[in-house]
Amino acid sequence: MMPEAARVTGVAVWWDAIRRDRKATFGAILLALFVLVGVVGPWLVGDPDALVGIPLQPPSAEHWFGTNGQGQDVLAQVVVGTRVSLAIGFGVGLAVVLFGALVGVTAGYFGGRVDGLLSILFNVFLVLPGLPLAIVIAAYLPSGPLTLGLVLVVTGWAWNARVLRAQTLALRRRDFVAAAVVAGESNWRILTSEILPNMMSLVVAQTIGSTVYAIGAQVGLEFLGLGDVSAVTWGTNLYWAQNDSALLTGAWWTFAPTGLCVALVGFALTMLNSGFDEITNPRLQMERAWRAHLLARDQKPTRSTPVVPDHD
Amino acid sequence: MRFLLRRLGFYLLAAWVALTLNFFLPRLMPGDPATALFARFRGRLGPEAMQALRETFGLTDAPLLSQYLTYLAHALRGDLGISVAYFPSPVTEVIATGLIWTIFLAGTAVVVSFAIGTLLGVAAAWWRRGWVDTWLPSLLVFLGAFPYFWLAMVALYVLGFTLGWFPLGHAYGDDLTPGFSVAFFADVARHAVLPIGTIVIATLGGWLLSMRNTMIAILGSDYVNLARAKGLPASRVALRYAARNALLPSVTGFGMALGFVLGGSLLTEIVFSYPGQGYLLVQAVRNQDYPLMQGIFLVITLAVLAANWLVDLVYLWLDPRTRESAS
Amino acid sequence: MTEPLLSIRDLCVDYVTDRGPVRAIDRVSLALERGEILGIGGESGSGKSTLAQALLRTLPPPAVIAGGEARFEGRDLLALGEAELRELRWQRISMVFQSAMDALNPVITVGEQIVDTLLAHGKATPGAARARAGDLLEMVGLPRDRLAAYAHQLSGGMRQRVGIAIALALEPSLVILDEPTTALDVIVEREILEHIRALQRRLGFAVLFITHDLARMLQFSDRVAIFYAARLVEIGPAAALRDAPRHPYTQGLLRAFPSLRGDGGELASIPGAPPSLQDPPSGCRFHPRCPRAVDLCRQRNPELVQLAPRHSAACHLAG
Repeated sequence: MMPEAARVTGVAVWWDAIRRDRKATFGAILLALFVLVGVVGPWLVGDPDALVGIPLQPPSAEHWFGTNGQGQDVLAQVVVGTRVSLAIGFGVGLAVVLFGALVGVTAGYFGGRVDGLLSILFNVFLVLPGLPLAIVIAAYLPSGPLTLGLVLVVTGWAWNARVLRAQTLALRRRDFVAAAVVAGESNWRILTSEILPNMMSLVVAQTIGSTVYAIGAQVGLEFLGLGDVSAVTWGTNLYWAQNDSALLTGAWWTFAPTGLCVALVGFALTMLNSGFDEITNPRLQMERAWRAHLLARDQKPTRSTPVVPDHD
Repeated sequence: MRFLLRRLGFYLLAAWVALTLNFFLPRLMPGDPATALFARFRGRLGPEAMQALRETFGLTDAPLLSQYLTYLAHALRGDLGISVAYFPSPVTEVIATGLIWTIFLAGTAVVVSFAIGTLLGVAAAWWRRGWVDTWLPSLLVFLGAFPYFWLAMVALYVLGFTLGWFPLGHAYGDDLTPGFSVAFFADVARHAVLPIGTIVIATLGGWLLSMRNTMIAILGSDYVNLARAKGLPASRVALRYAARNALLPSVTGFGMALGFVLGGSLLTEIVFSYPGQGYLLVQAVRNQDYPLMQGIFLVITLAVLAANWLVDLVYLWLDPRTRESAS
Repeated sequence: MTEPLLSIRDLCVDYVTDRGPVRAIDRVSLALERGEILGIGGESGSGKSTLAQALLRTLPPPAVIAGGEARFEGRDLLALGEAELRELRWQRISMVFQSAMDALNPVITVGEQIVDTLLAHGKATPGAARARAGDLLEMVGLPRDRLAAYAHQLSGGMRQRVGIAIALALEPSLVILDEPTTALDVIVEREILEHIRALQRRLGFAVLFITHDLARMLQFSDRVAIFYAARLVEIGPAAALRDAPRHPYTQGLLRAFPSLRGDGGELASIPGAPPSLQDPPSGCRFHPRCPRAVDLCRQRNPELVQLAPRHSAACHLAG
């Protein structure tokens, strides 16, 4: 096995990226905060469904985020919603990648007719508009997290299949795979010990991206009323805010915090991925050292090759 | 030419998949679909409505294959059934009222966003470490992390409700009659600023980053190097040599993102009570109007496929290598 | 004695990586006269390609020019600003790239790529530029109608000819050929080189011919320079290097090329592999692979020493 490749493609490089790149560090900390809130938070706030005050009260010392149209505490709603929304988000993100990997890696590895058929399959799903399809499927099934999850997976797997297929194709052509094939190793062994380990960091990146998608799509569907509207999630919070005409009554606090949470989590995850890109992209790395070198000698980066005499 | 035909074939296949999905989905419900449908609408629909519903879904006593073919025949004729919520209007009629607004809104937004985002991406890649490359992308990514409809809510609240700069909803004022007049177009434009603006801001970051990354890769290629070595002015190297080539993968990505952006714009329509497919969709969901829901799905799918084919045309024009078979 | 067209002294080029600078060209000195063809040979990574782009200052990051001097037609190449470089490029020094497929913009016609060169330097009106572009194509043996073609519609040899036409568009005094025929088959390769030589005799430009194909280089050049591990190890008239090479590396290279021997002698390759530039061997960079290495070779890096008129080598044992 090649140590160099492992350095770039293994999972350990993620930890490296988080420590070294500012964007990734920021993203990781922000994400950790939200996970903390999701895990511990619900025990610290009261029952989100309880009617605790007059409806549509602005934020105050008693209710930090005010009350919603029913008279419930918005802070409690947001915190409790964090747990469910994040859980479904991560769960679906993972499921989407696993399913996409199943199809994509199979297509990329076996090639030929298998690849042709599977490629058509995921390309079709890529081009069909996701939200309308999700709505139509969800409408026929009983509402709840399972339906939501199913619908999100059906509309989201195709992108991962495409990306992972491309990577599998590239790896398939590499020498060490050809050597394994010639040595007579079984397909299963080649896949599990040569190809998949070299794709792990991409798989992690895809999972992060898919989680962002899952959270956003979930919130969108719930906003439409397709989730379980009696559950407390970020999406249903927004659904009720819209239903209770939050905007027209000026009750911005009923939808602002939830939206902000969705954005912050999405942003954190995206920053993680972006930081990882910076660390593993060799071209960006090279430029970084070059710029530092120029700056240290009071020179500005130029388009033409700079002249930086070494005073030995 | 062969390229276009191949793509057309693919889109026809996708359309067929959409139709087939539409056929099988009602049969997803637990139990016999006909009974289940009746159960849901019992007491709400008269016998004619029920009959119309059965016919729309091809839920006759004929064997499955014959039901399927009947359904396909209806669809190809443009008969998507009768709407439950707007009974007895046919689904196609209901959809037609809002289709143009959705196309106007989503179409304008996506084109404007792509154009601005792509230009910013070129600037970000050319002037690395400039402000276009450092904090602007992060800011736009952050804005893009908000759900489109949430940004819509904020925009509506701040710019419409609080500041009163823009109208609070709809496509045009209630006092105007639609027509080809400057006053009408101006009013439409005024009503469109917030919805289109929201979608543009939400999607700008994505185009910027994608173009920027592609440009950075292309700036390292040999032909860009040669262009620089030839002493060409910077603008020509950046635009005619680098950006022109970076545009190709961007346009491909554009096609793939269309369906996704359309979904977001539907939700945005809801916030602004914009009279498009989004509004109809919400009504359909609320009333469990399956024929309308499926009709909207089908029409939107066809619109997206058609748009994709247009994008393929543009790609053909942009890339001389696709214009003929290998020489 | 007139000043040489190009005079390089102790030129150093580094690639700045996060593990420290890697020296890709280490104190290289050479001179090129007007109208002369100088071949530059060596293995990949020896520094020869870096040299070409260093002169034009088009090396992309993380390259920096870390020292030395480079004078061209009396001007200090290293002191020029962006605007002056832009003017110098192509008008005085031009280049033919290795794989012309990648060096030609795929989305505009080849004609446009010749024309924009002419227009960029204010050499002609658009109409006159098109006419001249047609002339240039004919000069390299292509029909005028190929002006409207795209790069992918041309064969490898034709693309290379277009590259040459572009390089000659502004009648420079120095044309750098960077592995111009590596991607082509042997017959096309010979045709192209013959053509270049004919043009060179007619127009009188100097040529830096960079290649790893020693045989071609010796046939084609007046003088030859051999690079090894970022250093210039031998330079002299082509005939002298072919018949009496003084540096062990050059000798090893010649032994590895059968066409030059022609007598069925043994094909001998040089044992070992070129050293890593990040961590080069002490003293003479070649000593680990040299059959004649002695202690001194391990300790001190030899400088170029003149052994005969216009023939120098960097070897402790060559004197």
